[in-house]
Amino acid sequence: MKNDYIPYPAVIESIITESFDTKTFRVKFTDKKIADNFSYVQGQFMQISLMGTGEAPISISSSPSRKGFLEFSIRSVGKLTKKIHELKVREKMFIRGPYGKGHFPFEEIKGKNLIFVAGGIGLPPLRSLINLIMDNRKDFENVKILYGCKTADEFCFKDELKAWNKIPNTEVLLTVDKKTDDWTGRVGVVTELWKDADIKSDNAVAFLCGPPIMIKFVVQKLEGSGFSDKNIIMTLERHMKCGIGKCGHCNVGDKFICVDGPVFTCAEVKKFPKKDGAM
Amino acid sequence: MIKKTLTSCIYCGCGCGMYLVSDGNKLIGTEPSENHPVTQGSLCVKGWNAHEFVNKKSRLTHPLIKKNGKFRKASWDEAYKLIADKFQTAQKEHGNDSVAFFSSAKTSNEENYLMMKLSRAVFKTNNVDHCARLCHASTVAGLAATFGSGAMTNSIEEFERADCFFIIGSDTTSQHPLIGSRIITSIKERGAKLLLMDPRKIHLSEMATVHAQQKNGTDVALLNGLMHIIIREGLEDKKYIKDRTENYNELKELVKDYNPQYVSKITGVSEDKLVEIAKIYATTRKAMIVYSMGITQHTTGTDNVKSCANIAMLTGHVGIECAGVNPLRGQSNVQGACDMGALPNCYTSYQKVTDENARKKFEKAWGVKNLPGEVGLTVTEVVDGLGTGKVQALYIMGENPVVSDPNQNHVIECLEKAKFLVVQDIFLTPTAEYADVVLPAASYAEKDGTITNTERRCEKMRKAIDAPGEAKPDWLILGEFAKACGYNKMLYKGPKEIMDEITTVSPHYAGMKYSRLEPFGLSWPCLNDKHPGTKYLHKDKFAKGKGTFMPRPYIAPNELPDEEYNFLLSTGRIYWHFHTRTMSGLTTTLEREAPVPYVEINPVDARALGVRNGGKLKVTSRRGSVELIATVTDKVCVKSCFIPFHYIEGSANILTNNAIDPVAKIPEYKVCAVKIERVSQ
Amino acid sequence: MTKKVINKSDISKLLIDANNEYNVYVPMEHIGGDVLFSALSKEKNSLEEDVKRINLASEKTFNSPKEIFYPQLETMMEYNDKGEIKETVESSKKLVFGVRPCDFHAIAHQDNFFSKNYEDKYYLSRRENSLIVIIGCNTPPRPEACFCTSVGTGPFLTEGFDIQLVDLDDYYLVEIGNEKGADFIKKHEKYFSDPYRDEIKHAERKKLEAEEKINLKVNFNKALQIMKTEEIPQDNLERIAERCIECGACVYVCPTCTCFDVFDDVKCGEGVRCRIWDTCVFSGYTREASGHNPGAKKEFRAARRYEHKLKYDTLETGISGCIGCGRCLHSCPVDIGMSNFIKEITTNQKYH
Repeated sequence: MKNDYIPYPAVIESIITESFDTKTFRVKFTDKKIADNFSYVQGQFMQISLMGTGEAPISISSSPSRKGFLEFSIRSVGKLTKKIHELKVREKMFIRGPYGKGHFPFEEIKGKNLIFVAGGIGLPPLRSLINLIMDNRKDFENVKILYGCKTADEFCFKDELKAWNKIPNTEVLLTVDKKTDDWTGRVGVVTELWKDADIKSDNAVAFLCGPPIMIKFVVQKLEGSGFSDKNIIMTLERHMKCGIGKCGHCNVGDKFICVDGPVFTCAEVKKFPKKDGAM
Repeated sequence: MIKKTLTSCIYCGCGCGMYLVSDGNKLIGTEPSENHPVTQGSLCVKGWNAHEFVNKKSRLTHPLIKKNGKFRKASWDEAYKLIADKFQTAQKEHGNDSVAFFSSAKTSNEENYLMMKLSRAVFKTNNVDHCARLCHASTVAGLAATFGSGAMTNSIEEFERADCFFIIGSDTTSQHPLIGSRIITSIKERGAKLLLMDPRKIHLSEMATVHAQQKNGTDVALLNGLMHIIIREGLEDKKYIKDRTENYNELKELVKDYNPQYVSKITGVSEDKLVEIAKIYATTRKAMIVYSMGITQHTTGTDNVKSCANIAMLTGHVGIECAGVNPLRGQSNVQGACDMGALPNCYTSYQKVTDENARKKFEKAWGVKNLPGEVGLTVTEVVDGLGTGKVQALYIMGENPVVSDPNQNHVIECLEKAKFLVVQDIFLTPTAEYADVVLPAASYAEKDGTITNTERRCEKMRKAIDAPGEAKPDWLILGEFAKACGYNKMLYKGPKEIMDEITTVSPHYAGMKYSRLEPFGLSWPCLNDKHPGTKYLHKDKFAKGKGTFMPRPYIAPNELPDEEYNFLLSTGRIYWHFHTRTMSGLTTTLEREAPVPYVEINPVDARALGVRNGGKLKVTSRRGSVELIATVTDKVCVKSCFIPFHYIEGSANILTNNAIDPVAKIPEYKVCAVKIERVSQ
Repeated sequence: MTKKVINKSDISKLLIDANNEYNVYVPMEHIGGDVLFSALSKEKNSLEEDVKRINLASEKTFNSPKEIFYPQLETMMEYNDKGEIKETVESSKKLVFGVRPCDFHAIAHQDNFFSKNYEDKYYLSRRENSLIVIIGCNTPPRPEACFCTSVGTGPFLTEGFDIQLVDLDDYYLVEIGNEKGADFIKKHEKYFSDPYRDEIKHAERKKLEAEEKINLKVNFNKALQIMKTEEIPQDNLERIAERCIECGACVYVCPTCTCFDVFDDVKCGEGVRCRIWDTCVFSGYTREASGHNPGAKKEFRAARRYEHKLKYDTLETGISGCIGCGRCLHSCPVDIGMSNFIKEITTNQKYH
């Protein structure tokens, strides 16, 4: 019987400092056999461990179209993530997964207009899908990426944001909650970007990731723009310990975010018990 | 292979009977005893998780000796020799009273007995004390003076049948959950009345008949005010006063001035509430006073306790079933540690060291001469003594004064000045960091012995697993150390033999042979081998004969808010943690529920400070300053704040005032003045 | 169904024999009369002592056998600073003797939970080589709290078990439910004989009498129906929340609760990763690293627990997550319990 709780060593190949509190780690399984047999789908997550410190679920932020490595963009918020931030290239972390039956659709959304809305550390999970789309750009219509952070130094993937913006029919719109001297763009919450972007629901699917309060307002906004529940797709985060539907922490109604998600349509989320505050 | 061992919970004074589940030499769980009179199949969350910390790899496993600021492993013999040498040298050069011993309310009766025997018989000093100094020293002093016995008068079982709870300064559901739950069940199922007097809103406030939020430190005025109303309304128990008490006229005289209007002004409690509380308490027969640190941890702690005793005697509410004065003891064996004489003024059963007959009795029992007849130094005085050089060497067993004592900077300064410090514990505590020698002790799960819970129930703890590495039970360490000092009469086969000795010298415990303590123990006084133990105290007659009214005038706390330090700080425990977090902090569930130190402030003050829930605040007193997370809540009144004292990372005791009660020498943890600033992030 | 009888005085001999092949878990009397599942010792002298402490009286056992397959604290793996990780899985052969019928339903619930989606190797390995002997409840273990007849989980099983015993005063009637049970009986056949017709009749009578002794009745099906379609009234939740002192007993004693937390413990590079029972009735259970916490309110957590047991578990498997054992009420220091909750939502009267 496979023991799904046992993590495997993965070596860090590179570290990119995204913002003052977020770093992207590119890692590779040290065991070649595991590496060769490994595959994942956009929107899935993995359990990352430092033995002696603990384990946490982290979304894969790289695209499955780019093979041979995995990327995790990790914000330093707790004991474990702080320790991960202290790691250097060539050092190891321990990972297991990928997890999540509920992942982002790909084939199903070909030929559609796509809208991505992310807040803060919500962009990394979406980036997996965004880069998959960029690698197959001709299969899709217009792509709009709306991204809000507290301050300008919080934006992740700054180079990619610029690069995506240069791709034809692809638009990246940014906003910050708090203006700093070096910021000349929009100030306000992410829904403020509706003023700049021409958001239409025709033949469109929206993807969201961010804090619950953002999700709530963005869904209202999207519904206002005519989106139906099944065309609003979001990835949820919950406190989790096991990643495989056993520890119980991420249980919401009859679903486990780790197994049944983390990606759900808005229609599914609306069926969650209201008090669970998913939205 | 699962094995289950009945023992007594290590946390609060409830003394819950629980099974430690072990598999080999690891603990893998806890289960309540169904038949234990306190537990009855239930535990609080700390009890349910009382196994986890025992397994931790950070347990001390070898004696450590500090050399050039670093600890190295040492053998037991080497450690004993070094300690004996340093202690004896100190005494030679600076006199017998230049050494001191801190015993521990977390160790067994037998171990406390040996610690005081070590101090008195081997080192000829009465400088032995323990953390009761910081929690219920005022109870021991106050109730001994009024009733003749400083302990909870009733049993926990009686809480299930009482009709009125007069709770003053006890967050019972948090600190003594299985007593708190009995209060809740009595209110909900039987309609018992709850008179709650607490400056903070607590869980019990939700179901209180009356909740009076008196200003911190005005308890004497409040209690005098209530007595004034009781006498004014003619609700005092005249027959009881006449038959069983003395000094009533003096009380009557004193409380005359405490009319509701005056008291309301001092305490902030409305006159209506005062009258309601007084009437309900005085007219309900089965009415229990329940108090804890809110009464004791004041510079007027002893006065507070005496006033509680006064009101109980005034209404005839002592010495009958389901009515009495019930100080809830906070540590598993703090009652026992006091009973065993780990106090600077008495031997076991509170026999005074100043009493020549008592000294002779112990000289004979221990085979020594010239036991010291002067009262020794208290915990707070010993710490100060380290600073001044009066105390040269200190031996601490299972206490953590760096976190638990008031005015942390002062404590650290004194410990640093200590010529020689020994710490005997299960973990390398913040205090152990300052030690010259650290001795690894067995935890409660790794040894036999007895503890005495808050209802005076002396019950057994039983060994479930072996101690890690070379760690040894405290009783064995103390015996071996005494031998290294040249005293051979502290080597025992085991705790049973020690208890046999205790029963011969301690009247309260005379009937407490091990064979009689199965399964769930006996409550003292237990005067001989046939005595069934005592459910409630002072039946028909007070321990001292007649109960003495000890009227006390209201005196304000030592340090109150002023223009600069404009907030009143109170400190205390929270439900999820225990004391200095050396155990609860290593327990996954408990630590997760309350991982960071915080300060509770009222929403009004939060708005004025411009801080949100979860924001950072800097709290400063005249003694130090600490940064904490803000918990914005109406549990505390405007211009008041509350900080749990458990955390070394944000220590409330950096701020607290080390002013002490003149009688009991207990520090005023419950009131000091601070200022609060927002920390910009 | 094949039936046998065994003399009560032969039970200890049977278990001593079985102890050679299995780790035997059986309700044993502890100090002060508490009866708890414990393991028989493998050492001869202590085994003799242990056997004397066996107590199968139906009104006795306190805890469920959950901890045998799913201990409160369990080491999952050991590791060192060289990056080596070793799983620590236990898979000894176990005989769990004296399991109550309701608890057997709980084991079935756990079997299903720990094998669906991903297999939980720790539970399943412990459970794999185990034989379970049920003993029906002639009298309820918790007279004030047991409500198995309302749920349909006791006081006797009709099928699904390995072996079930019916207490007939001096004898047990032994009902053999499957091949695994039959193999065990065959191996130890010297202790078993064929029953007389009267004994079988006697057993049937006992079972009926036992049912009548379960005094606490609730309308369980109505509760399931209500939970499926309606929100729990806020008033009920608030009253429960006001009482609750957050001890977690309802979860710790619940034979179907499965939640756990994971922690690491390490010193000088050598470490262990362990799991420990967790409870959804505590606020920190759902607190995220960001500080956001959907479960900050006590009422929410109470609702979540009842919905999980009575609604979502039932939706998924058709089997409710409550087995009517009454332990939550029995161990609750403030008398909150599933049966009281069910009575409240089905009768609109206050029980809390």
